[in-house]
Amino acid sequence: MKKATSPKICIVIPAFNEETTVGGVVKSIYQALQKSKYISEVVVVDDGSKDNTARKAKQSGAVVISHILNSGSGGATATGLSYAQQNGFDIAATMDADGQHAPEDVIKGIEELIRRKDDLLIGSRLINNKGMSKVKILGNKGLSFITYMLFGINSTDSQSGLRIFSRTALEKLRWKTSGYEFCSEMLWRAKQLDLHIGEYPIQAIYTEYSKSKGQNNWNAVNIIKSLLKRRISELFG
Amino acid sequence: MSRYLLLLLLNLPFILAAIISQFTQYKLGRSTKRRLQVQMALWILILAGLATAEPLYNWLFASGFTQTESLSLFDVVQITAIVIVFYIANRSRQKVDVLEHRINDLHQEISIKLSQDNKFK
Repeated sequence: MKKATSPKICIVIPAFNEETTVGGVVKSIYQALQKSKYISEVVVVDDGSKDNTARKAKQSGAVVISHILNSGSGGATATGLSYAQQNGFDIAATMDADGQHAPEDVIKGIEELIRRKDDLLIGSRLINNKGMSKVKILGNKGLSFITYMLFGINSTDSQSGLRIFSRTALEKLRWKTSGYEFCSEMLWRAKQLDLHIGEYPIQAIYTEYSKSKGQNNWNAVNIIKSLLKRRISELFG
Repeated sequence: MSRYLLLLLLNLPFILAAIISQFTQYKLGRSTKRRLQVQMALWILILAGLATAEPLYNWLFASGFTQTESLSLFDVVQITAIVIVFYIANRSRQKVDVLEHRINDLHQEISIKLSQDNKFK
């Protein structure tokens, strides 16, 4: 029985061509949420997929927001969080559609956010990096270092897709980049807004599918280029 | 008329327009204080560079740091063109930034509205 005072939770899953996994991810998060005390809704933002991502997500019970154009992971996340804010959710969580995140870690994150009274909580895969390849560890640590150098934010996993947002963060937090670089920019904006940023350890589940879908380390070059551009352009107005 | 004065007079309207525009953007809440400060510093630096070009050249020449000719009419035209191009590029980049932001917001809102309409069908 869910209490009337339970916070309303919105789980946002940005997805692009994820028909293979999105249905399973939605079902597993719903199962985990049913065991919890929260009133919840799962929202899949289909970022202009060419396959049946939207249909599979809808069949699994998710609310589907379909982007007319592919706008990137940052754009899809922004749409999902905007939906959560407009529909009066108290807390929102973002997770990947490739099955990389365990639903239990999402619930744990929500509980941690409430307990710590943070505004933005990042599920860090690098606090306990068991199961992660050395190349991925290097790539993620490198990007976290760049994030620190550019924006002065010390995060062990600045690129994690599992993030929990308070109502304050939902109302205030906005970013301008639309690709993967939004992960670092979001932290920068949160810092500018004086939001409380925290981290908690999560376990990343790497399957052959998620390994093939994950970010290529060479994409880090594009992310760094974009972040530098954003940093410099902000300086000159 | 001195060519240095001509250089200053030709560029002054663009520099003043840029400064006024930045100040207006800030007062209208479309720009941050940090941005205003950086932009002001940039344009005041350009203005100061143009205003002190003659004494600076005279000092450099007298001290033997340069043997180049004094400012020609072609130099005046070229420097003015560079300042105008910089002014236009700066304004265009700001406008593109605002437009990009608006398009993203529009795309986001349309997607949410459409999904809500489909939900109630």
